[in-house]
Amino acid sequence: MKILKYIFIVVAFTFVREEGKAQCSPTDQLKVCIPKLAGGFNFLKSYEINGRDGRLEKVEYSYPFAKGTQYMVNLCSSEGEANGLVVTLYDSSRKQLATSVVNGQHVSAIVFTCQSTGIYYITYTFDNSTQYCGGSALGFKR
Amino acid sequence: MLWLVSCGSDKKDEAEAFLDELEEGVDAPAISEETINDILQQIPAPLEISMLMRESGADYDRTILSDPDNVSNYNTTFKRAINLGIYGTDLIYTNIFGKNQEGLSYMKSVKELADDLNIGQFFNLKLVGRLATNNDNLDSLMLITTQNFNAINKYLQENRRANLSILFLVGGWMEAVHINCKMSMDNPEVGSLAERIGEQKIILENIMLLMSFYAETDPNIKELHEDMKKLQEAYGNIQITYTYAEPTTEVVDGVLVIKDNSTSTVHITQDNVKEIDSVINTIRNKLTS
Repeated sequence: MKILKYIFIVVAFTFVREEGKAQCSPTDQLKVCIPKLAGGFNFLKSYEINGRDGRLEKVEYSYPFAKGTQYMVNLCSSEGEANGLVVTLYDSSRKQLATSVVNGQHVSAIVFTCQSTGIYYITYTFDNSTQYCGGSALGFKR
Repeated sequence: MLWLVSCGSDKKDEAEAFLDELEEGVDAPAISEETINDILQQIPAPLEISMLMRESGADYDRTILSDPDNVSNYNTTFKRAINLGIYGTDLIYTNIFGKNQEGLSYMKSVKELADDLNIGQFFNLKLVGRLATNNDNLDSLMLITTQNFNAINKYLQENRRANLSILFLVGGWMEAVHINCKMSMDNPEVGSLAERIGEQKIILENIMLLMSFYAETDPNIKELHEDMKKLQEAYGNIQITYTYAEPTTEVVDGVLVIKDNSTSTVHITQDNVKEIDSVINTIRNKLTS
């Protein structure tokens, strides 16, 4: 009987812990992020950021940027604003162009004026994140 | 099944063949799904290529688009998927020029093809129809169209139908290049149109790579891949040169603004544009017949 009681407590505790852990739903964050693209930017792509509770160090996407076009990449974290999320942009040779942490401060969007056509890499990483979850929208204007 | 029984034998054969095709799909290529999805991301949205046309001052030309009434001719999964992409670009083109009523014809064709491919759930014709009645809704219309197409791609990739996603994207891309070529030939003084066509050399390389993964297992993709080798040959005459320089950054109103100091130059002539246009016409006529 004692054993059964022990099993019941362990199982119940496990369920409570799982319930307490928020499920990552990047789609919800995308709904926030797309309308937040600055005026004049046309929506192109939305990117889900799911770090699988910290098991993934980074989430990466790529897109061809065209010369003479401005691109905006914004961040929407499940922890509010861009909290815990970092976006870094790399060119086609994988040279880092910029990151959204500037002098220790996080910015919630980056704008890149492209002068060299090619495939660019948009990498999302986590910094002091608790939920490892968010969304991001890519927009463009000429 | 009841519907199949009630149809004539020709219709039955056609429908059964289609269902078999859907169920069997194609053998998965040896390359990983992740790699395929990574490359698929690198095909640009037709919206971006098309936007340049309006800004260049080029006039709207309905005659260069695919006929929206041809939808009943597309009775294989291959033709449906590729023409879904073609119509999708035509729809965006009409949207960009504010030709909303003509856009509705394309929307109906897109919806019909999507229904035939079992992905019609992503289109809300009523909503699009309502938005299309007023040019003030152009941004919303384009946003919804882009979101729908992104959702289709995601769904196809997640449901292991990436081969259809490739066809859909290739169809859309090819139509955008086709329209761009026509506009460039009509407006040779607008260098940015020709330059945009030349830049597609980078995209074509990825498309050819993607198609090569499926060419061994899918005879339709194999044939298209062979045809597109001629396009690759035409693009062989175009050179893109790069000069690298460190970017500069500044924070403006909480946004990091990055100034690219690198440059790329596309070396393309109007003769190159004509050659690309001619090859695309041949491939496109085959796909839309």
